[in-house]
Amino acid sequence: MSDTTANGLAETSARPERRDIGIKKRYAAERRFKAYGIIAIAIGLAFLVALLWSVFSKGYTAFWQTEIQVPITFSEEVLGTPEQANQSQTKLMMANYPQIAREGLAQLLDVDTSDRDAMRAVGALISDGVRIELRDMVLNDLSIIGTTQDVWLYASSELDSALKGQYDLAVPENRRPISDLQLQYIETLQEQGAIEQRFNTGLFTFGASSRAETAGVGVAIIGSLYMMLIVLALALPIGVAASIYLEEFAPKNKFTDLIEVNINNLAAVPSIVFGLLGLAVFINWFGLPRSAALVGGLVLTLMTLPTIIIATRAALRAVPPSIRWAALGVGASKTQTVFHHVLPLAAPGILTGTIIGLAQALGETAPLLLIGMVAFVADYPSTPMDPATALPVQIYMWANEAERAFVERTSGAIIILLAFLAIMNLTAIFLRRRFERRW
Amino acid sequence: MENIQATLNRGQAVQSAKPIKMKSQDVTVHYGSKQALNGITLDIPERQVTALIGPSGCGKSTYLRCLNRMNDTIDSASVGGKITLDGEDIYDPAIDVVELRARVGMVFQKPNPFPKSIYENVAYGPKIHGLSRNKQELDEIVHTSLKKAGLYNEVKDRLDEPGTGLSGGQQQRLCIARAIAVSPEVILMDEPCSALDPIATATVEELIDELRENFTIVIVTHSMQQAARVSQITAMFHLGDLAEVGPTEKMFSNPDDKRTQDYITGRFG
Repeated sequence: MSDTTANGLAETSARPERRDIGIKKRYAAERRFKAYGIIAIAIGLAFLVALLWSVFSKGYTAFWQTEIQVPITFSEEVLGTPEQANQSQTKLMMANYPQIAREGLAQLLDVDTSDRDAMRAVGALISDGVRIELRDMVLNDLSIIGTTQDVWLYASSELDSALKGQYDLAVPENRRPISDLQLQYIETLQEQGAIEQRFNTGLFTFGASSRAETAGVGVAIIGSLYMMLIVLALALPIGVAASIYLEEFAPKNKFTDLIEVNINNLAAVPSIVFGLLGLAVFINWFGLPRSAALVGGLVLTLMTLPTIIIATRAALRAVPPSIRWAALGVGASKTQTVFHHVLPLAAPGILTGTIIGLAQALGETAPLLLIGMVAFVADYPSTPMDPATALPVQIYMWANEAERAFVERTSGAIIILLAFLAIMNLTAIFLRRRFERRW
Repeated sequence: MENIQATLNRGQAVQSAKPIKMKSQDVTVHYGSKQALNGITLDIPERQVTALIGPSGCGKSTYLRCLNRMNDTIDSASVGGKITLDGEDIYDPAIDVVELRARVGMVFQKPNPFPKSIYENVAYGPKIHGLSRNKQELDEIVHTSLKKAGLYNEVKDRLDEPGTGLSGGQQQRLCIARAIAVSPEVILMDEPCSALDPIATATVEELIDELRENFTIVIVTHSMQQAARVSQITAMFHLGDLAEVGPTEKMFSNPDDKRTQDYITGRFG
């Protein structure tokens, strides 16, 4: 032993001549590689910033909606007396509310109600949604019949877009959606302080609508929520059970290898294929209703399963084998070992994987188009069996609309979707930080 | 004085042949097509410390893991031959492997406490085996086990703190406490001191010497000195064979086998 050590020392002290290995070149290569890395990150960041900027700059206005304060006369002439309303609501339901609103606004603007052109211009300033807004007011409180109330009404999307500066007013009058007369009215209203931009709660509560000012993502949010719940309820237990079996119990042989390869491949299958599968199996074969959140949830479950299985297996594998030995060593059975020790330690990883999988499912559009979730759904689904849409599908549908007001709503809905995704990812990060264990 | 007394005791122990606790006959282990043990026949006496020594890769850890069937957890491993515990074949299909591991406990090379409280670490075994009827009995088992492992005084005020927060030596004694909490008959130790500093090693060695009164202990070690200090019987493994087995004093003073002699004098290993 000591001989070799001495020899080694002797050799190093002789300092053999070193050939030139290009130290300068090596440093240059290192610097170059660092620069490549920084450039790559910069490009990525630039794209991200461009994306966020384009979405936010177009979309933030969607969260504000112009409203006009109009004195509305709920005359008994039009609506009938409260006594009549108590007997039959037909008259209340059928009454011409836009007319009432139009007349109220005309009064505010000092427009002669017999001037049909002027009245048309006035009417186009208010949303057609007043029909429902005013009707609900009356139905909620019959005592307002016969009185005059100041009511904030939704302005039409043309007025809204004009106020937000989304129209080029330099083009000739007949080539833009808002006339000079209307612009004049808007100015008058602004002077009176009867026009205001308010937070657009309707964007979150309304369903699909052909009028931009009464279109919202409410139904889509509920549809997405139903689907996420279904995915969570199905994919998590199935995925975790499959992973535990594969990772802890299954013998390692050709067959389990085949299963493993297939699961990994399944994660890479284009999502539209899952949509076709859902159409063939759940709708045509099982006879489940079209456009239903249930079918969407089932399809997304199939899509999310491989993600959850892969994440769970990775989490299980990350639990050190010494913990398993320790449990087996004190006489715990295989199942006790897994459920008392391995699974709790893998839980943060499993949760993170599940949330990432859910986020992926939340943003998925293509398979939902195939199972008919691209429908025009104005009413809230009361069960997952009712027709619904999903957030990304709503974005897709709005993106096909030409109106300026829908353009901003498309971006607004994207912001909402991104916010949901960000919340989910932050939750995943938080859970991982909170429950991560160190050995 | 104590040392002399201990040495005397040890001498007596060897001389008065103890009954055989575990008997191995022609035990072979294959990992896939590779044979790791070529027929080991070895008797492990009751309430003695049996040390397994030998160079790395000689199969001593593999043999140790046969004694409580930990090799079952390795898919490619297949065990041949016969091992008995109190005359019962432990590889008999009728034997419950969970029950066996409760009777033959194990302490591993690297301290591996559960990432739970100190109390939970020790209480886990008794809980799953139903050794206590109520909280008081469980407390009693935990406290006794920690006392037997010589850890109680150090941790009695912080039983709720995580076991992973203890020092290396304390963690290993916690693992020993966890092993003895289920009242095993045999304790297998796989290089229990290799991850510990000399002071912690000394503490654990003392502990092993004390545990001998109640338990049959089989210890794998790379340290000749440790084998000499704690064991009464030493078995020398070499390349999957049992080179030699005998009373520790004889093995270290006058071994029969050339390989043993070479190994303990540091010629290879």
